[in-house]
Amino acid sequence: MSVGEDIGRRFEELRGEEVVYAIHRQDRTFLPARDHCPLDATRPGGPATEIPLPAFEIAVFDNRFPAFESPHGAAEVVVYTDDHDGSFATLAPERAEALMWVWRHRYLELGAREDVDYVYIFENRGVEVGVTLHHPHGQIYGYPFVPPVVRRELEADARLGGCAPCMLLTRELLDGRRIVYENDSVVVYVPFAARWAYEAHVTMRQHHPSLRDCSREELRLLSCALQALARGYDALFERPFPYVMAMHQAPTVAGEELGGHVHVEFYPPLRTAEKLKYLAGSEQGAGTFISDTLPEESAAKLRGAIARAA
Amino acid sequence: MAGKRAEPPDPEALEREQEDERTGPVKIARHVKDDGRALIVYTRDADAPA
Repeated sequence: MSVGEDIGRRFEELRGEEVVYAIHRQDRTFLPARDHCPLDATRPGGPATEIPLPAFEIAVFDNRFPAFESPHGAAEVVVYTDDHDGSFATLAPERAEALMWVWRHRYLELGAREDVDYVYIFENRGVEVGVTLHHPHGQIYGYPFVPPVVRRELEADARLGGCAPCMLLTRELLDGRRIVYENDSVVVYVPFAARWAYEAHVTMRQHHPSLRDCSREELRLLSCALQALARGYDALFERPFPYVMAMHQAPTVAGEELGGHVHVEFYPPLRTAEKLKYLAGSEQGAGTFISDTLPEESAAKLRGAIARAA
Repeated sequence: MAGKRAEPPDPEALEREQEDERTGPVKIARHVKDDGRALIVYTRDADAPA
């Protein structure tokens, strides 16, 4: 059975959600030795890698172990740098800005495909969230359907009678206690109802459905905000800070304008320097997060860490 | 791929589909890997207009 033939979807009726089966991923590369990283550049005499070049800046390729594959979606890997030991936080500002253009380009190209209804750009950082390769990289899934978290965000627009991220941003700016960073185009805050102790949302001030609609200066300032937050996270407990980074943009369903407001959500699993938040009985079985921290207190600590890391 | 030794990298050997493509200040080079998967390399253009 070839890769792709074993990818399938089943609909879980009780939760009203798709479940994707990609059983070939069971055999994907798992925490390889330092000198066998498949995301390194290929150096003469060294092991073959995914990028057959002696050096590169940013590389994107089809995932060797895809969860989605044409003609039923896409799965790509985005390698931020050929420096194995770096991170998004330590990229040169110019490289981080270039990465915004790469994400924008992938959104446009994948979103134009008929088999992609939603372009999801994300990064898993740290073994705490299941990372299998330490080299700085993110991923992009082109879903052949609009996934449930995105559908719920669109439902929030309908419930609130307008763009929910716009309204929530206005509330946060009026309150002010949970703002941790801002510049002329972007605001970073711990949301009023944060589920994770140090959850943060990075939201464009202007209502832009996707990166496509952002100006060059807005993309630059978005990269500044994302790096400020990532560096602040690392400074918070003075250790590499694990997180899931999730970029939300407008769906790309052909012929439909479903709305959306580009923003990036971070879900860090640490609640202290050593303790993880687990999704257990209430979170998994009842869908209700129980938090041990107040967002206002977390925001004060995170704001201080971002200032220290600046 | 662990353990497999690489031939000296030869960018010219990769199939390049398009030239001079760019997104904003970033140049795009498209390749096809040996197994048919797409590879796109993005390089910041230092001479791009601000």
